[in-house]
Amino acid sequence: MTYRELRERAAGIAATLQRRTPPGGPPLTGVFAYRSPTAFAGVLATLFRGHGYVPLNPTFPPERTRMMLQRSGCRAVIVDSQSEEQLDAVLEAIDEELLLILPEKTQVEGLQRRWAKHRIAGLKDLERPMAWDIEPACPDSIAYLLFTSGSTGTPKGVMVAHRNVLHFVDVMVHRYGITEQDRFSQTFDMTFDLSAFDMFVAWERGACVCCPSQKTLINPGRFMQERRLTVWFSVPSVGVFMKRLGMLKPDMYPTLRWSLFCGEPLPVEVAQAWAEAAPRSVLENLYGPTELTIACTLYRWDSQKSPSECENGLVPIGEPYPAMGVLVVNRDLQQVRPGEEGELLVTGPQLTMGYWQDAAKTANAFVVPPSKNKIYYRTGDRVRKPRADGPLVYLGRLDHQVKIHGHRVELGEIEAHLRQEARVESAVALAWPLTPSGAGGIVAFLGETRLDAEAIRDKLRTKLPAYAVPRQIHLLPELPLNPNGKVDRKALLKILEAMA
Amino acid sequence: MKLVSANEVRLLMLSTLQTQLAAMGLTSDDVPDDFDLLAKGVVDSMAILELIATIERHFDIKIDFEDLDPENLTIIGPFCRYIEEKSGNGSFHAS
Repeated sequence: MTYRELRERAAGIAATLQRRTPPGGPPLTGVFAYRSPTAFAGVLATLFRGHGYVPLNPTFPPERTRMMLQRSGCRAVIVDSQSEEQLDAVLEAIDEELLLILPEKTQVEGLQRRWAKHRIAGLKDLERPMAWDIEPACPDSIAYLLFTSGSTGTPKGVMVAHRNVLHFVDVMVHRYGITEQDRFSQTFDMTFDLSAFDMFVAWERGACVCCPSQKTLINPGRFMQERRLTVWFSVPSVGVFMKRLGMLKPDMYPTLRWSLFCGEPLPVEVAQAWAEAAPRSVLENLYGPTELTIACTLYRWDSQKSPSECENGLVPIGEPYPAMGVLVVNRDLQQVRPGEEGELLVTGPQLTMGYWQDAAKTANAFVVPPSKNKIYYRTGDRVRKPRADGPLVYLGRLDHQVKIHGHRVELGEIEAHLRQEARVESAVALAWPLTPSGAGGIVAFLGETRLDAEAIRDKLRTKLPAYAVPRQIHLLPELPLNPNGKVDRKALLKILEAMA
Repeated sequence: MKLVSANEVRLLMLSTLQTQLAAMGLTSDDVPDDFDLLAKGVVDSMAILELIATIERHFDIKIDFEDLDPENLTIIGPFCRYIEEKSGNGSFHAS
């Protein structure tokens, strides 16, 4: 697809949104699509229309998608052909009239009968691109609203403003000297904010975004070679598997200029093997939660110097992006001394606007530390404060958030669903099996034996994305407690280790 | 040289994916040879890589995937025969 085609498609959809979206509702539009041309055109169309996009994933349970749609209050959704099948289940129980745009669909009469209360627009109903009225974006308006796992059981919507994304894109484009000759990987679904790098950093300079199918991604190495990629960006888990399966041999990927990782800890041995496999590329480890717009610190790998700067076998997260500020603090939000560990707090132009319609959660996470006059985001990540000009080192989490192949999961969210579905008091979810970069999945324990674990798993499957559904639910007469009377998670981990 | 039969690979695969298959109302007996794990949404690309790693570990083998053709690897029958074939032509060795 050329940039002209992308623009034409987006302008046609944007014009349709402008003319036909039911009145009322916030300036947000849903994009229910999976890494397809319609997904990309849908994102651009939403921005052209002056709205923020709400990415919705057809591989998530319909109930979860419906909740995101209802919580965000979108009155229009752009749908690609592979997501259409899921629409019935999503639309069930939605009372408000929606505009559903299916830009690939030639016949929509059947759908219009099926979803009589909604407005349906297919290919033939799209406005001409010329009909689009340019709506300038306001720097403070939402560019995208991204729902992320919430520890109390309900996902929270992070409001990312145009100015946040603009700062991120500017930093990246300049740092990496992106040109229209560059060829980007595209390994992330749009509900993963790292996909915003692939789109917007490439689009800013007219580079080519190479979007592989799931099947192609099984051999990421071949994808890199055949597409002659120059910029690679993925979660470290991909590198972990590639190393284990012999796909990282010296000089295999000579076309790469930049090898970028983000989303979970990067193991040293993966960085080493990758640097040898792509010897002409510079490898960087990026770090950042959605609340700080994609990534906000980075570390450049140096095969000579870096091994001595790594801790626990993980590559450091480096230093903040230009204009971003960090603090490492103790429990009272007072700064710790160099060399000590504490929670990482970050501020600056990429600090997002907080959580959608959730002032309490926003106030808890976006705080003004004592003796500061700016708002910082509390990452919940434990880091070591650098001595002198060394890098920030990631040490782990302060809470029960885990990364499953880079996907952010609050164990509390799974536990809330477990308690609700199993009607038990005592439920624990653990990240398991552990991998060098995080975890491969979830395993749960319930303190009650007279339950049907399979039936509970079936219920959870309708609430949680597949990666967050426990692979096993173990039923114990009671859960072990530590001396403080809390469930002893370490003892449960030992049980899993013994079973492995 | 260690040999692994397609059937052994199939059994391990199905037991590893048991819970995902059960979610679709399938038991290991009624999964056909041409069942596409990816197309049916049983796994994603990362889970396929994880599955391969599990097979390597279980049979204590090391498979070289430099020439791996993704087309072979998401359908149960061809996948299992691929591993067996690799063992037959000596493309992998016991580690």
